[in-house]
Amino acid sequence: MIAVILIKVLIIVALVLGLGAFLTLVERKFAGHVQRRPGPMVVGWHGLLQPLADGLKLITKEDLFPSMGNRILYNLAIILALVPAALVFAVIPFGPEFSIGSISVKPILTDVNVGLLLVFAFGSMAVFAIALAGWASNSKYALIGSMRKAGIVISYEVVITFAVMGPIILAGTLSTYEIVQNQIQQKLWYIWVQPIAFIVYLFAMLAETGRVPFDIQEAEAELVTGFTVEYGGMKFGLFPLVEWYVEVLSLSAIAVVLFLGGWSPINIPFIGFVDPLFFLGPFSGFVWFILKLSALFLLTLWIHWTLPRYRIDQITQIAWSVMLPLTLVNLVLTAIIAPLIWR
Amino acid sequence: MVKRVFEKPLSLMERVLFLDFMKGLSITIRQAFKRTITTHYPYEKLKPPKRFRGFFGHKVINGKEPQPAFTEWVERFKIAVEPGKSRCVVCLLCKRACPVPQLFEIEGEKLPDGKRRVSIFNMNMMLCTFCGFCVDACPVDCLFQSDIHETASYSRKDAVLDLSTLEKIGKDWQNRREDEPDRIWADDNARMRLWYENSPKLG
Amino acid sequence: MRWANLEDILPTQKLIKSASFKEDKKISYISVSESELIALLKLLKEELGFKLFIDHSVADFPERKPRFDAFYILYNPQKNARIAVKTQTDGELDSAQHLWFAAKWAERECYDMFGIKYKGHENLVRAFMWETYSHFPLRKDFPLEGYATEYLPSLNEVFPGGDLTGLMNYDRMHTPVPTLKDIEITERSRLKKRAQIVLNWGPLHPGTHGTMWFLFDLEGERVVQSDVILGQLHRGVEKLAENEMYNQFLVYTDRMDYLSALCSNQAWVVAVERLLGIEHLVPEKAKYIRTMMCELQRINSHLLWLGTYALDLGALTVFLYAFKEREKLMDIIEGITGARLTISYTRVGGVRMDLPKGALELIEAFIKHFPKELSMWESMLSRNRIWLRRNVGVGIITSEDVYYYGLTGPVARGSGIPYDLRKLDPYDAYPWVDFDIPVGQNGDVYDRYLVRLEEMRQSVRIVSQCINALRALPPDAPFMAESEDPKKLKLPLDGIGLKVQEGEIYSSGENPRGELGFYIISNGGTKPYRVKIRPGSFYNLCIYPKLMQDRVIADAVAILASLDPVVGEIDR
Repeated sequence: MIAVILIKVLIIVALVLGLGAFLTLVERKFAGHVQRRPGPMVVGWHGLLQPLADGLKLITKEDLFPSMGNRILYNLAIILALVPAALVFAVIPFGPEFSIGSISVKPILTDVNVGLLLVFAFGSMAVFAIALAGWASNSKYALIGSMRKAGIVISYEVVITFAVMGPIILAGTLSTYEIVQNQIQQKLWYIWVQPIAFIVYLFAMLAETGRVPFDIQEAEAELVTGFTVEYGGMKFGLFPLVEWYVEVLSLSAIAVVLFLGGWSPINIPFIGFVDPLFFLGPFSGFVWFILKLSALFLLTLWIHWTLPRYRIDQITQIAWSVMLPLTLVNLVLTAIIAPLIWR
Repeated sequence: MVKRVFEKPLSLMERVLFLDFMKGLSITIRQAFKRTITTHYPYEKLKPPKRFRGFFGHKVINGKEPQPAFTEWVERFKIAVEPGKSRCVVCLLCKRACPVPQLFEIEGEKLPDGKRRVSIFNMNMMLCTFCGFCVDACPVDCLFQSDIHETASYSRKDAVLDLSTLEKIGKDWQNRREDEPDRIWADDNARMRLWYENSPKLG
Repeated sequence: MRWANLEDILPTQKLIKSASFKEDKKISYISVSESELIALLKLLKEELGFKLFIDHSVADFPERKPRFDAFYILYNPQKNARIAVKTQTDGELDSAQHLWFAAKWAERECYDMFGIKYKGHENLVRAFMWETYSHFPLRKDFPLEGYATEYLPSLNEVFPGGDLTGLMNYDRMHTPVPTLKDIEITERSRLKKRAQIVLNWGPLHPGTHGTMWFLFDLEGERVVQSDVILGQLHRGVEKLAENEMYNQFLVYTDRMDYLSALCSNQAWVVAVERLLGIEHLVPEKAKYIRTMMCELQRINSHLLWLGTYALDLGALTVFLYAFKEREKLMDIIEGITGARLTISYTRVGGVRMDLPKGALELIEAFIKHFPKELSMWESMLSRNRIWLRRNVGVGIITSEDVYYYGLTGPVARGSGIPYDLRKLDPYDAYPWVDFDIPVGQNGDVYDRYLVRLEEMRQSVRIVSQCINALRALPPDAPFMAESEDPKKLKLPLDGIGLKVQEGEIYSSGENPRGELGFYIISNGGTKPYRVKIRPGSFYNLCIYPKLMQDRVIADAVAILASLDPVVGEIDR
């Protein structure tokens, strides 16, 4: 069993860091084509090895440190940013249970019964990383950037928690694996009955990960790059890697689990599932999961490279005066109607 | 005559269905599937138009000098005419027309047969504004601006163009581009990558 | 635009004892004694309707007593008339800061450059130089090279083995540069800290669009007070103008507002032509070419503004869309003039070269497609809820503010004032083409955005009319003016020997950033005696600290970008 867990851990760590780096290329290519340019083209075929070159460049750069900064907090911020973001993947189910020989494997690291609580607990840790990074850098720009981000995260943690409450009521469990199982049993993706929650979740996800239209903690025109302004080399590279890629991936995965039925194929509500990928046999579940994940990730990129950004007061105002009431109404309605239908 | 412009507020429909976002998103995605318009710079290079004002050169004597101006100036200053050498008649008009005259260092020398010719013609490109007044001033069509624009160098000294460099640039220009027609650009196909949406029809 | 006649200013003759009026086609001015200056200005502003502050500066005549000539230029929007006010002083004047805020900045500049003391000025600090600098550079006794007092060998080549000979052997003594201590004194003289932190926004910052240095006194993210430190790009263009021939100074106009070099070129040559009185000699073709190129440059400049503005507000993609179109314009301009940025295409009396083959066809292809692109960006931005929320109601400039702060260009038009010199004081081919002046309603950032977009559309209209006119002209029509009497007046391409008779003029052109005016005093030589440049950006920027009052940092970029300053023009 320990061997299986170790393999799972290795796969997830490789996925988080390797995929995160590779997604920079995806983003650059996407942004390039949206802007009528080809993106990276030199390193490797169509720039396929560009993430490697970028990584090499970042690692070999001089490690600068602001002379009046706090070195311990400065470095701690990086760890605090990376570790919780990676840990979220521990509770994400990538596919249905399968067996190799006699060992049956659940493609999820730990199927704890409070999986979703864990996700949002880790999510809230991100704010510490950013607050510390801003404080320890001893720079006014970094401080303003981190305070902005803290403001957003506090507002949107509330919103996102209320938004996922709907699917949780429908599923009756906090375990991510069980939620997907329930959706398959009920023959219903929760997005069909929770569209408002889904849209609110999407925007809250953009806000949590600092994507346009909520990227004010970076806001390069005002704050240069906000809280990362005093970081250099790979230390600088890790922040966007975590925020823009690892967190987007993990929150998209949660969205897939909660609203899009995890690894299940296309859903016709209350009737059943249609699987155009049936020929893949046992792999079809994994492929569906990855497809849905990529779709959400690309949607994020698409929004990022289209819209302008809000102002900080407008962002928090939207959270508290628009999104929170919406999710509350949604929650109440779900709580009243759901038991009538399913229990 | 006076046209008022004003804000048109969003309708409720647009607000609820996110039509404003949809419009923007549909534009960006449509652009993503169009052809890219960039030139891959160090690997592909656009040819500057003939009028481009780049590094300077001295056209050399090859029988195509503007007449009768050239003969007049040669006679006035008793200049030694030697094919393949600079057309410069050491009139210093370029230096007079220049907004930064200290970038020129021009000297003539007397040959044993009593004729004169240019011996030193240095231009310090670090001070140059590339305005082209010296080219306008040149009465014998000697000084001109070539299409050389990649001029970075490791040493400040390389920014000084001396007579032999100027002549080299001039000869090169006379071989390559002097006879081109005066057209807005010379490389239609390469430019079409940017311009294909406009489909210009140049004569 | 005409200069005011006696009728317009009749009451001044009665009420101000020392006022004497001189009427002229090039410039009409009221001379007044030093003591009655403010009374006259007040009368002109409040009773006679000369509300808009255009410019104020000083000319230095070291041999004369009193030494300085101070002049003010005002504009009456009702009568569409200008007036200049002149007074002589020996170094002390009353401040006009209560009449116009813009005067405050202009006075600071005069204090900086000439050492004029202004009585009653609230905060008389230097405008461009640092506070501890002890000279007054625009005085005639200040040498062009400055005082070389600092030993700075690092500016010479220290390449191993490189011997410093010939043209590269620069002097090792240089004019002083400010030390860190000087800069700190300068900073402290501008702003007294009242709130939590002072954020140094600039001099090198992506949001400032150049090397401007803003000081924001912040309470949280709210700006309690702010100020600007200018001068990081100060090159003394006005001093250089006194030492260059009329044509040669064209090169420096390129480098003032470097985003709209052609418009600055045009404004300068039109000013010199008006001073020479040879406007009628300039061939029709040259006028149309200039107008067309100027409008292309206006589109070019507004495109850069749109791109960077969208970038500042986070719409990253519009930036590259705008630059795609801008690149096409650059291709056109490069093919016609030979340069992309510092163009120097116009000449006194015409243009440098005729249009090359294919130019008109290419421009036509551009303007046919361009409006489609423009409406595409508009549907991405104009009605986007985020864009609306970031722009509407932010940075409101009332029409009274426009006069009080001396604003011009799209900033004034955004507030509903149709002040457009192309209509009010037409030059070159503008009287022959048909176009509208877009004006806004509320004067907020969004209105300025709409005005600039509409201006691009109007420019397209002008360009297409110019193309038709140029097509109708014979291909060998002249593009340079022929002097009627070559002995008296030479009009060469290279500018050697162009002499301008004694006289003075204030003439201005409509730059994409506002009114670019040139006040030229000629003493009959080949070089001007004094050139005062009225930069649109400089006066447009002076309202910025007021607009930033009680706004958050995020609005700083939106408001600044909507004023669209270019540092090269502000600092000169």
